[in-house]
Amino acid sequence: MTALENNRPDGAPVVEFDLSTHNRMADSNAAWAELRATNPVAWSDDNGGAWIVSTYELVSAAFRNWESFRSARDVRTIPGAGGSPNFMPINAIPVETTSLMIPEELDPPLWRPYRRVFADLLRPRAVEELAPRIKYWVTKYLDDVIETGECDIVSTLTSGVPGAVVLEWLGFPEEEWHRLGEAFHNAASFVPGSDTGQHYMDELEWTFERIREEVTAVRESPRDDVTSRLANIEIDGERTSYEFATGMVNMAMSGGVDTTTSVASAAFVHLHYNLEDRRRLIEEPELIDRAIEEFLRVYPPARTHGRTVVEDTELGGCLLRKDDRLIISEVSACHDEAAFPDADKFVIDRFPNRHVAFGMGIHRCPGSHLARAMFKEMLTQVLERIPDYRVVEDELEEYPHWVALGGWRRMPITFTPGTRRL
Amino acid sequence: MKVLVQEGKCQGHARCLAEGPDVYELDELGYNSTNVEDVPPHLADQARRGALACPEQALTVVEDS
Repeated sequence: MTALENNRPDGAPVVEFDLSTHNRMADSNAAWAELRATNPVAWSDDNGGAWIVSTYELVSAAFRNWESFRSARDVRTIPGAGGSPNFMPINAIPVETTSLMIPEELDPPLWRPYRRVFADLLRPRAVEELAPRIKYWVTKYLDDVIETGECDIVSTLTSGVPGAVVLEWLGFPEEEWHRLGEAFHNAASFVPGSDTGQHYMDELEWTFERIREEVTAVRESPRDDVTSRLANIEIDGERTSYEFATGMVNMAMSGGVDTTTSVASAAFVHLHYNLEDRRRLIEEPELIDRAIEEFLRVYPPARTHGRTVVEDTELGGCLLRKDDRLIISEVSACHDEAAFPDADKFVIDRFPNRHVAFGMGIHRCPGSHLARAMFKEMLTQVLERIPDYRVVEDELEEYPHWVALGGWRRMPITFTPGTRRL
Repeated sequence: MKVLVQEGKCQGHARCLAEGPDVYELDELGYNSTNVEDVPPHLADQARRGALACPEQALTVVEDS
């Protein structure tokens, strides 16, 4: 393991841009807007040093250029971090050891067969087959609270539903869904250095342990579920390694569980503060598909992704050197005025809307169709069943950082009680 | 009217299918890999919107001259 050399490139535009200080969505968005307007590509010494890419044009170009910008895990250490290994996977800034994610952390050609498995499992037709399960869990979780007139819509719905749908699909036991879902939700949203932080990291470690146990079990005797299929996939006639098998299940779980949560929660905050948009969606439900794309554009769950430069490459007039890190910003691209007229406005029927919420290029989120389907069902049933919900504003709690993933920790709501459907 | 798929550009976003369900078909992995050789006039609008919606700009509409 070598140290990441924090050598600032000669002649590069240099900015101070420490993502770890982005504590509120509004502040993060404002920081990106300023950077985008002044430096489409710039070097920042923060977090070990990295290029930051912020315009729609260059973000798209960088995402598509997998030959020059690799996703494979980078295991250099960060100077000043006490010499402990700081793994640098696709995350935008260094993190402590995290479990491998396959295929997101692979590059072609190794990437290809693993991507095929996910593409096949999550293609639009396959997601259509999951529609009855998605509908069931949204209906049930709303049933559980609808007679009371109040709930935390995050734990009840936006975190609960993706957790149930994805974990049922993977074949994890129902009694563990809540704990697994909470583990990802809390890991994405705890305050670094807080007392609860260690507990949340322990819980996340427990989820990785559970993944390892399940993978071991289904490699021994396969079941009829997605974990079994992922864990036993054959590449060129040979079963994949145990490490890659756990990497795929980890990818499916961490990619599926607290991501749709973020954009669905954002939509319910938005429709609390923008009642005209709520009224239009209720009166003109045919607008919902366009609105979903606009929620994704304005509130993309994944804010940034990291890459490593393969060979010296020019991007936006800057020379990115071999082994430099770069941070690519989905959220900044999504808010770029050059690509989206009135980019700061939520335009309910915006078209075309070629947003980058799911990334671009070969690593485009393969779960995007499932995410849209879950989001649509949650939005539809909330607008049908609790159309007058109000957020308890004093108790609305944002994630304390908006680096790689943004969202809402909790969102208590009140509404006129309704009737159960099941 | 024709719609041409630029080889290697489609990444399976499936926005063409969302806008043009009667025009576009995806392959067994959910990618668009087939040119639409003859778009009937009543589906021309779906074809145009599907191409316009593609985040990878992989689709080119060729209007009849």
